Amino acid sequence: MEAYLYTALFAPFVGSLFAAMFSNRPKNLVAGIAASTLLFVSWISSVVLLLHVAHGEVVHVKMMDWIQAGGLAIPFGFVVDQVSATMMFVVTTVSTVVHVYSIGYMDHDKSFNRFFAWLSAFVFSMMILVMSDNFAGLFIGWEGVGLCSWALIGFWYERDSASWAASEAFIMNRIADLGMLIGIFLVYWNFGSLQYDVVFSQVNGMESSILMLVTAFLFIGAMGKSAQFPLHTWLADAMEGPTPVSALIHAATMVTAGVYLVIRANPLYGEVPEVSHFIAGLGAFVAIFAASMALVNRDLKRIIAYSTLSQLGYMFVAAGLGAYWIALFHLMTHAFFKALLFLGAGNVMHAMNDELDIFKMGGLAKKMKWTMIMMTLASLALAGIYPFAGFFSKDKILEAAFATEHYVLWTTLWVTAGLTAFYSFRLVMLVFFGEERYKIFGFHPHEAYKYMLWAMAPLAVLAVIAGFFEHDFVHFVSNMLPIEEYHVSSSTFWTLVAVTLGIAVTGIAVAVFAYSRGGFSKKLEKTFIYKLLFNQYYIPKLYDDFICKPYAEISRIFWKDLDLKVVDATVDLIAGTIYKLGMVSRVVQSGNLSNMLRWMGVGLLALLLAAILYSPIR
Amino acid sequence: MDHILSVLVFFPAVAALLGFVVSKDSIRAYGISVALIEFLLSIWLWMSFDGGYPGMQFVEMLPLIPSFGISYYLGVDGISLFIVILSTFITLIGLIALSVKNDIKNMIISLLFLEMTMVGVFVSLDAIVFYVFWELSLVPMLYIIGAWGGNLRIYAAVKFFLYTFAGSLIMLVGMLVMAYLYYQATGVWSFSITEWHRLILPMNYQIWLFVAFFIGLAIKVPMFPFHTWLPYAHGQAPTIGSIILAAVLLKMGTYGLVRLPLPMFPDASVYMITPVAVLSLIMIIYTAMVAYAQEDMKQVVAYSSISHMGVIVLGTFAMNPEGISGSVFFMLSHGIVSGALFMLVGVIYDRRQTKLMSEFGGLAKVMPRYATIMGIMVMASVGLPLTMSFVGEFLSLVGFYQVSPVMTILAGTSIILGAVYMLSLYRKSFFGEVVHEKNRDLEDLNGKESMALWSLVLVTVWLGIYPKPVLGPINNSVESLVSFMHEKSITDEAKKVIKPTVIEREAE
Repeated sequence: MEAYLYTALFAPFVGSLFAAMFSNRPKNLVAGIAASTLLFVSWISSVVLLLHVAHGEVVHVKMMDWIQAGGLAIPFGFVVDQVSATMMFVVTTVSTVVHVYSIGYMDHDKSFNRFFAWLSAFVFSMMILVMSDNFAGLFIGWEGVGLCSWALIGFWYERDSASWAASEAFIMNRIADLGMLIGIFLVYWNFGSLQYDVVFSQVNGMESSILMLVTAFLFIGAMGKSAQFPLHTWLADAMEGPTPVSALIHAATMVTAGVYLVIRANPLYGEVPEVSHFIAGLGAFVAIFAASMALVNRDLKRIIAYSTLSQLGYMFVAAGLGAYWIALFHLMTHAFFKALLFLGAGNVMHAMNDELDIFKMGGLAKKMKWTMIMMTLASLALAGIYPFAGFFSKDKILEAAFATEHYVLWTTLWVTAGLTAFYSFRLVMLVFFGEERYKIFGFHPHEAYKYMLWAMAPLAVLAVIAGFFEHDFVHFVSNMLPIEEYHVSSSTFWTLVAVTLGIAVTGIAVAVFAYSRGGFSKKLEKTFIYKLLFNQYYIPKLYDDFICKPYAEISRIFWKDLDLKVVDATVDLIAGTIYKLGMVSRVVQSGNLSNMLRWMGVGLLALLLAAILYSPIR
Repeated sequence: MDHILSVLVFFPAVAALLGFVVSKDSIRAYGISVALIEFLLSIWLWMSFDGGYPGMQFVEMLPLIPSFGISYYLGVDGISLFIVILSTFITLIGLIALSVKNDIKNMIISLLFLEMTMVGVFVSLDAIVFYVFWELSLVPMLYIIGAWGGNLRIYAAVKFFLYTFAGSLIMLVGMLVMAYLYYQATGVWSFSITEWHRLILPMNYQIWLFVAFFIGLAIKVPMFPFHTWLPYAHGQAPTIGSIILAAVLLKMGTYGLVRLPLPMFPDASVYMITPVAVLSLIMIIYTAMVAYAQEDMKQVVAYSSISHMGVIVLGTFAMNPEGISGSVFFMLSHGIVSGALFMLVGVIYDRRQTKLMSEFGGLAKVMPRYATIMGIMVMASVGLPLTMSFVGEFLSLVGFYQVSPVMTILAGTSIILGAVYMLSLYRKSFFGEVVHEKNRDLEDLNGKESMALWSLVLVTVWLGIYPKPVLGPINNSVESLVSFMHEKSITDEAKKVIKPTVIEREAE
């Protein structure tokens, strides 16, 4: 099994290196095909491993030593257990699809080869992240995906907005990474090791205050990667990257790393209800907060980005409530339908010459039937309509919230479910149905290549059927994660299902009804609420005014006024004083005889005076 | 090869003298050959070094002035070995990439003399010999800045010289007092550093001597507020001068901290942790912010180099093997990475005669190979895992965490602020459209630049993935240093703070 493990891990890396060899050359189809093929190989290995660990066996290897200093010993070790196997399956599935799709999507891009180099490098980092058997290894992957995300958001680096978004994403993540690093330090000094198994086996004897600090700091790291409030702004701006990147990194995989961390460290989080409750509360807040921004946004990709944010909130609620398997399950189904949604959006952008304003679209269904069908499927899954994948996982989260008597969380998520359904179908309606506004703007949309549509098909299938594997999934992860049975009476259960489905259907109905008649009145756009939501609660502006600009200003003051005018000036002053003293005392030896005699007299007097004053016989 | 260390020290100097008779056309090849031989010798030293033995190896001892206990006393341990290799490596790489056109003969001769002094500082175990090399190293550098520098070169060179010289004079006084105290205690004079290590001093002596040594070393590092000579020196120095200055000369300061005050005055060192750490924190955060405000690429790199030196000092004062090993390793990675960054700035300066970021933009498109290496080095400077810097930074911070969690969090902001100024540099210069006509047809890296830079990249990544061959010997020597300090310390506080490896390594 080790061979499969290494194949799964390193095949994307080889693909990346191969594509990188051509990175400065003109487009070379082979780079894309090779990278995709190697990812497919990685996928096969992951599936083999998945089937292997389904029998309850865990594959654990130590490749080599990495850092050894003092008492700290960190190896490159990898573990495939039920949790990482699930993640590997999700990551390789979505990546393979996205790679294949990108061969079509990036067809005309002059940096085709560079794109595949980075995309495969991303998958490699993500695999390290999920497969590592210790916190430091996780951190390698953690930073690696950050690097690749930086390079891919800023892929079209000529655009100022793209390079800005790339820097923002990297720095925002770094802020969180500091928290994570401190968490790792805490783990080391308290548990004496960074290996998961060693750490988790000592949880019982540990003081709860230490566990609380560890989990809180690790969660700060998770907040950055998973773009939780208040570190969320980078995700929407990250949409500057090519759409396949958004599908893979900013929807399906990287942003779920934070959720993965909490799931992976569940023996720690399970012991600290305070932090877990905070996670759940924050998750619920982000769910509704992000959904509200998605309601009014006009940008095709940003709407989906906010919905990603909102769904990550759902996952954190599940994880915070101790329902780790549900979080993982939702992570998986969400990866499938959200990637599908993004790839569909990519088709639309292709058709519309990279236009993103959904108010300039409309009626595209006629031209893009298959894209429309797949995006609608994905939206239904996102809205949580039976029998699509999202229904099963999202419903479980609501059930968990209700059964553990967190009614506030439940209500928040319930309302969010309605909002989700509404904005998803607002998007579908504005893009694919109604008036053909694109004609005014002179676009000539066309359906995407057949090839790209076929590439998306596996995700479409998974978005439909993934939910039905719920019981197999529970069985599969039951070794690793606590499975709680929620005791709600069957009548309550069915009421819950009905109520949840009810609000989702209502949301869809409102959207379909309103936008098939030309949408809401323009007057609404004048309201304070609309402006607040449209400007993302003014948070980006707030950050800019109160953090970025003051930082730049203080830096400038430090340099110009403090470093040059105080610190350095002091040094120069000392040196200058000594120099001037020397210049002044030169008159003593000016070479003029009468002058020198006069000084001699002064000196003699001074000496005599000193002799008298300090004389021992006085 | 019994006298390998003497050979390593004096071979470049002798070669430099012979260089005067080499013709101008072949001096470049001559210089590179000498540096290559020297580098291979240092590699040979590493290969024959016993990584498992923590003490001094290849010791050479020749009494010079026996009545005062001054002797020609050399030796290396795991701590100094790799800094010696760093010096020979950087000199070689710097010579390969050397782009100075005028007076090339004098330049190469100066560099070879400089190499002697650098290796000399890191291998000498006698305070006087150490001090002589320490001061001698100023001379070639003074000449390099003063003769090949920019417009303000004389001011910068004199400032560099006088500032560090003033500091080292204070250190010299400390050395003389130390020798006298040794004489008082034992009845014989000695300037041997290893002998000094064994001397246990009362607390008040320790503190005064610590301060004397610390000032001399801190100016070299350079620690806030003694850092202002460095931006001038870098701003005016030619590329090769900056490379050597940042990569090796600054390391004399931090190496000195590990070699001199720590084992000599463990109690004072522990007593001084807080003030030193506060200075380091100011250095980390403040200079990182100043770096962000810079308009000149080279100044960004210069200030970033100061900022990272703060983490090194902090790691040194962690007083546990994790932190000190990390800080010694970070010295090496800082040498490689900041050397590479200065070289990269030099590449563009050679082409455009300017270093202002506003003059660039879109370089990624014009010079993709250059942009790639710059990208790698920017990420290494930011401390991305699997680069050398991460290992050093991580260990330094993990070590200091044991001393003070709050200060470690503050120091950790270096990973955020580092990203801020480095990414901003990269964005301004490499991303965006090409706006200046002059940048449209810049030549990408040429052969010698590529060779020099790729070897630096190779080392950065290799030791980032597999630091063991270097970290192992360092760690062995550091562990014995820490337990030595623990044994030697007299105050309870120092006994408590100086922690030899407390956590048993899990059975392998």
